[in-house]
Amino acid sequence: MGTIQLKNVKKQFDKDVVIENLNLEIADGSFTVLVGPSGCGKSTTLRMITGLDDPTEGEIYIDGQKVNDITPGKRDIAMVFQNYALYPTMTVRQNISFGLENKKIPKKERERRVKEICEIVGLTEYLDRKPAKLSGGQRQRVALARAMVKQPKVFLMDEPLSNLDAKLRAQMRVELIELHKRLGTTFVYVTHDQTEAMSMADTIVLMKDGEIVQQSSPRELYNNPNNVYAAQFIGTPQMNVLRDMLPDGKMLGFRPEKLYFHETDDPHITIKVQVATKEMLGSEIIYSLNSKYGTLMAKTDYELDTGAEASVCVPLSSVYLFDSNEKRAELDDKEVEVIKASFAE
Amino acid sequence: MKKKERSASGKRDRLLGIVTASPAAILLCIFTVYPVIYLIYRSLFSGSLISAEKEFVGIDNYREIFLDETFHKVLVNTIIYTVLFVGLTMVLAIIIAVWLNSSHQKKLNNMVEACIFTPHVISMVSVSIVFLWLMEPDTGFFNMVLTSLGLDKFAFLSSPSTAMLSLVLVMVWKSVGYYVLLVMAALQTVPASIYEAAELDNASKSRTFFKITLPMISPTILFTCVVASIASFRIFDAVNVMTQGGPVDSTNTLVYYIYAYAFRYGNPGVACAAGVVLLVLVCVMTYVQFGVSRNKVHYQ
Repeated sequence: MGTIQLKNVKKQFDKDVVIENLNLEIADGSFTVLVGPSGCGKSTTLRMITGLDDPTEGEIYIDGQKVNDITPGKRDIAMVFQNYALYPTMTVRQNISFGLENKKIPKKERERRVKEICEIVGLTEYLDRKPAKLSGGQRQRVALARAMVKQPKVFLMDEPLSNLDAKLRAQMRVELIELHKRLGTTFVYVTHDQTEAMSMADTIVLMKDGEIVQQSSPRELYNNPNNVYAAQFIGTPQMNVLRDMLPDGKMLGFRPEKLYFHETDDPHITIKVQVATKEMLGSEIIYSLNSKYGTLMAKTDYELDTGAEASVCVPLSSVYLFDSNEKRAELDDKEVEVIKASFAE
Repeated sequence: MKKKERSASGKRDRLLGIVTASPAAILLCIFTVYPVIYLIYRSLFSGSLISAEKEFVGIDNYREIFLDETFHKVLVNTIIYTVLFVGLTMVLAIIIAVWLNSSHQKKLNNMVEACIFTPHVISMVSVSIVFLWLMEPDTGFFNMVLTSLGLDKFAFLSSPSTAMLSLVLVMVWKSVGYYVLLVMAALQTVPASIYEAAELDNASKSRTFFKITLPMISPTILFTCVVASIASFRIFDAVNVMTQGGPVDSTNTLVYYIYAYAFRYGNPGVACAAGVVLLVLVCVMTYVQFGVSRNKVHYQ
């Protein structure tokens, strides 16, 4: 079991309040990704779970047990650091077994576990090398192996893939997902990269300014964002949000991939646009379009030249409505009529 | 054609290398290589400092010092001094540096740093004179304190059994600040995340120190050991001011012996022979230190 609970947690560095009042529950066996921009408090939250930072106020529970006064080494957790934090003076073998030695696990058992883990992560031939003689990907694996060998209740990872190149990062993402499936342990993963969050998580915790904006599954977060911030954080290019065009300061949002260059039978709004720029991605093209409502982004496979004029349709079923506080508002029939009227002019 | 071009540019590079390195090389030859060669050459001659006349005596000067009991004592003294000085200095420097590095009280840290570094910038002669007074057996400050506490007086520099230890303590007091600074600089290069990883690995403080901190700063420790060993092999000024090698040669060290032969007994040949022995000893010691520590020292 590896549930995590943060109750009314506050974190303050000197006079700087990073987290005001955080309440978070992480389910056992979940792959939870804390995501948000730099300075949103996601790493601080993770470090408080590890015990490397103490909360100023509030309580932290791991597996139902309050851990505020328990040292990091005794919390039955393992962490993978952004810079791996391998011990440079030790060989791969020593790096992996260091934690086991501290736990006074017998030598034979230690050797067996190190061997087993190294076979899983493919490090067997590098056991006697020092970290300086390994590539970035191999170091990443050592960091993972060091965490895995302890058989912890919870794995914590602080942007572990950010030092790898794009190709290796994609490969490691898949491996981490497989690893999570195989171990079935709770994974808590911190990243600022929404692609990583979307592709790996079963639960995403989106944070901003020390607060949780939304905690839900990736699909839910994409389809049902709570507010403009959540809507624009997930998805590339970000959601088009038209401000100042509906009454009462309400805002209208739609994703770039829901903008069609052909007529549709579904109820929709039509906007006249001119192509400003065109980014060819291969299977898709990203357009930046000038309209009288401002710049709109579109993602489609429809071919148009720069400067071309066109009419684009946005089905009303793909439209999100936000109130003047940027919170999600219900799109009822009355609002639909208002929107249709606003675009008819 | 290409080969020719390459060889021409190679020649130019070589020439540039020679031109840029030559000032340093020439100075090195004048001030290091020549004196060493002359030292070895002069150790094969007898004669005095005053007259230019000298006579080739082969290895007689060496025979003289190796048959001289004082020289044996001097060698043993120098080795004892070096072991005590380097050992004490390094242990103290590491303890103080680790403490300063982990303490977050900035004001206290700055004060301690200033206190332990100040002796390093005071001249050795002044320090020696001050300690001569402090360690004076009858009227000195230290014994005054000891007697006021109801303890026996300590002989310090006036007894053969305690003089060497007293000398070592003075030198450690004077130099430890410098080594603390070097060790602290090394400690600050150890990334905090490694300590955090160790904390998560449930490593005790002592295990973290011996398994992580110490190996991480081992290159600096080796460097400081070598520098401190060479410095202590060459100790002279404190001996000259405080004890003149006494009592009963108990603090007589190699460089003081060389000095005495050259300027007191007017026998530069023997002094040069002892100088050659010092040179060989320092070379051997440094070589051994590097050799022994090859597997223990971790270079990033």
